Amino acid sequence: MTKPIDLLQGTLDMLILKAVSLGPLHGYGVLLRIQQISRDRLEIQQGSLYPALYRLEHQGWIASEWGESENKRKAKYYRLTAAGKRRFQTETDKWNRMADVIAGILSTTPEEV
Amino acid sequence: MTRWSRLGSWLRTILQRSRMENEMDAELRFHVEARADDLVRSGVTRQDALRRARLEFGGIERAKEECRDARGTSFIETLLQDIRFASRILRKSPGFTAVAVLTLAVGIGASAAVFSLVNAILLRPLPYPDSGRIVLPELISPPGVNLGSEYIPWGQLQFRMLTRDAHPFQTVSAFQNDSFNMTGAGEPTFLDGFRASQEFFSSLGVSPALGRAFTAEEDQPGQEYEVIISDRLWRERFGADRNILGRAVELNGYAYSVVGVMPAGFAFPRAEEMPSSFNFPEEPQLWVPLAIAAEPKPGPSELALIGRLTPGVTIQQAQAAMDLITKHAEEQDHRWTGWFNTRVVPLQRQVVGDTRRPLQLMLGAVCIVLLIACSNVANLLLTRALARRREFTLRAALGAGRARLIRQLLTESLLIAVGAGAVGILIAHAGIYFVKTLGPSNIPRLREVTLDLPVLAFALGVSLATGMLFGLAPAIGAARENLVDSLKEGSQKSGGSRISPRLRNALLVSQVALALVLVVSAGLLTRTLFQLLGADGGFNAERVLTFQLPLPTLKYADQDHIVTLFQNVLERLRAMPGVQSAGIGETVPLGGEGESTVIRTPDHPAASQKEMPFANFTIISPGYFSAIGTPLLRGRDFQETDTKDSMPVAIVNVAMERKFWAREGALGKQVGPGSTRYPLLTIVGVVPDVKHASLREETAPEMYVLYNQKPWPSMLNMRVALRTKAAPAGVTESVREAVHAIDPDLPLAKVATLATLVDDSMSQPRFSVLLLGSFGVLALLLAAIGMYGVISYSVLQRTQEIGIRMALGAQRHKVFRMVLGQGARLAAMGIAIGLVAALGVTRLMARFLFGVRPTDPLTFAGVSLLLLGIALLACYLPARRAMRVDPMVALKYE
Repeated sequence: MTKPIDLLQGTLDMLILKAVSLGPLHGYGVLLRIQQISRDRLEIQQGSLYPALYRLEHQGWIASEWGESENKRKAKYYRLTAAGKRRFQTETDKWNRMADVIAGILSTTPEEV
Repeated sequence: MTRWSRLGSWLRTILQRSRMENEMDAELRFHVEARADDLVRSGVTRQDALRRARLEFGGIERAKEECRDARGTSFIETLLQDIRFASRILRKSPGFTAVAVLTLAVGIGASAAVFSLVNAILLRPLPYPDSGRIVLPELISPPGVNLGSEYIPWGQLQFRMLTRDAHPFQTVSAFQNDSFNMTGAGEPTFLDGFRASQEFFSSLGVSPALGRAFTAEEDQPGQEYEVIISDRLWRERFGADRNILGRAVELNGYAYSVVGVMPAGFAFPRAEEMPSSFNFPEEPQLWVPLAIAAEPKPGPSELALIGRLTPGVTIQQAQAAMDLITKHAEEQDHRWTGWFNTRVVPLQRQVVGDTRRPLQLMLGAVCIVLLIACSNVANLLLTRALARRREFTLRAALGAGRARLIRQLLTESLLIAVGAGAVGILIAHAGIYFVKTLGPSNIPRLREVTLDLPVLAFALGVSLATGMLFGLAPAIGAARENLVDSLKEGSQKSGGSRISPRLRNALLVSQVALALVLVVSAGLLTRTLFQLLGADGGFNAERVLTFQLPLPTLKYADQDHIVTLFQNVLERLRAMPGVQSAGIGETVPLGGEGESTVIRTPDHPAASQKEMPFANFTIISPGYFSAIGTPLLRGRDFQETDTKDSMPVAIVNVAMERKFWAREGALGKQVGPGSTRYPLLTIVGVVPDVKHASLREETAPEMYVLYNQKPWPSMLNMRVALRTKAAPAGVTESVREAVHAIDPDLPLAKVATLATLVDDSMSQPRFSVLLLGSFGVLALLLAAIGMYGVISYSVLQRTQEIGIRMALGAQRHKVFRMVLGQGARLAAMGIAIGLVAALGVTRLMARFLFGVRPTDPLTFAGVSLLLLGIALLACYLPARRAMRVDPMVALKYE
């Protein structure tokens, strides 16, 4: 297994939005989901997850409500709001364009300049 | 928003905050436990799993803090944070905090106390239902006729004419004061009371707490032997007996039965609530029916009226209706012309009466104190903000928003104001207590005064506004400033302070000016008091005992009987070893207004009956003048040889002699009561003017007649004056015994030394002096604090400059003088402005003054010097500090 890499600045929000876009999740669930999708290649500071969740909720991208977890415990579930969906879309587009550009730049060979 | 809903939203915010905290705790706990569950499933022990889950999570508290930040902080939280920070800052400079809080507290406390007085006395409606409709229909003297008083009493006939005409009142009642000698139940007691017609209580809208009011049947001659007593009398005399109704009591020898007890606190009308010329008792204890005949005979009587306006009728309409009644009366009989003029006065205005002006004086004084306090605090805050400029620029540089900085300053001002408010409440309470206990007894409604919350809120608001205004100005300036420059330059000489000294100096100058106005006013009143103390009242108050000897009407019906009684009393009193002289008179000096009546003077016959002159008409006995210490100026005193069979004689005062016989002198001239039924009297003596109600009064012409020469009015309420050999208090008991030896049913009322009467008459001016004097001292103190603050700050600011001056060879005493000079210049400006303002203000005080002009140069000069001296004293410490500046330290300082 390769050593997990640290998150790029500002990408955690996007990952959270992606995670909850697949269905409502509690905080720990978000963590598990991201690790699962990334196949454990990303290292997420558990302590920084919650401030991000609170920030996204404060901005209105996600909403929360209390529900019951799989092992019968009270847990706070987050889901994507309509505004969050739009936001996620634009963020994804932006990220993809950016990644293309960066990848293009990085893959440039001396001959191409 | 109502108070409750605002409280509700505040509570919700608080509750929400704790709910959010709880939820956050639960969420994070869930996370850790869920992770631990997973670890347990992978084979770790429960305990280990929890520990590892926590370790993986990292700092929980830090995460929470970040969550709170992410969520956005609530208003309350920031406020609490601000308050914590502000109180830390304030605690760090206890001197500043104490002075600011105390200064504001004094301002708030004093003004809250005075506004409470004003509110209770002038503004709050009277304690009667729908009191706006209660009026006093007053009868006023014909224009151009001087009766010594504006009011003339209503006659019984006039009252009947009024009630039979179309009058504007729902109910209207006539009443008249009377004294009642209550006998047959222990010690005979002399009680003040009123005879009132049937609608008296319904006009006021008050019913007895026990029993009932009078019926129309009881308000008829021969049926009037029913009495309603006050709550106080009921408690003190009858032990609050609830079975008192129907009980018989003996008043002036007649049997009355008690039909009602008034509610506690009811005592209408009190003397202080009515025109002083009525000479009403201080606090009536009982009421009996007036019982006017259906067809009363014309003739003098002493009625006052009270009415409740018909709903919807305004004062103007009531006045118009009364004017119509006047017109009807004049058409009916031309003799009424001029003698039936009425004026409808709202009871509220009458009650407030003469108190309005002293209260306005107090209000003015306290406003000045509040202004000085506010400007003082403003100055303190400005100075302090200047000193803290570097702190603010630094904080702005570190990223504090302007709004945040302003909020911080606001919170500090708020804290100061709240602290001042708390101390101010205490001061206000103390002030009200002080006024209630030391204030003159003739302030109406004083017992209703309580500390008013709205008033307190007002004072607090004013101080808050001051704090905000002057606390904010520098904050806005600081936030706007170029950060780099300020930080580089240092706080002491940066450019922004160029404006502030001018503002601070202006504030200081206005403080000095305001203080001068207040202290000059207090000074004028003080001089007035001293003038009054030295004023000649026409008598000598040393070792004189006075008391009233009210006689029961039934027992002393004829005059001969009364004369004999007085002769016996005087004989017995004069025989007492401690008594030097004794006399009886209708009045005693400063014991109240005397009776005034129409007189005739054959030397100066009046052109018509309407123009007949008036004079005070006082019945006395021989020995009266020597008892009260009034010297005879010319002629002789009354003697025992003047009897009812000898030549009728009179003594007049100087004012009377001057008015009628200025050139030829009064001795030997003839004078008599207006009615020719009474014989003319020959003037045998002239005495100085004796003051009746106050030492400052303009004495009216007065004539004295002998009690045993068939004088005209009744002698049922005479006063006795005794000049004693030792302190008069020692003889009181033996005097009482001597009187009771003659008639055990005779009560002694209003026993007081003449000195006490003089003292009482002085209570109002003394109180004004005390009040204005304490406000003046406060103003001086505050101005001195302000001066000290401004000068010492300026010394601090100029430390470097002073250091350079000294390094260049300036003498220490020159530096000292320079600083003093700066203070003196400011003080002189304040004094100059204050003098001009004081000239304007003291003119309004003319009626409070006696024997001193409103522009008294002595007071003005003295107070100016006093203020200058205090200003210099306040500059002395900072000037000394400036003188001791070490040039080396000062230059290194930056």
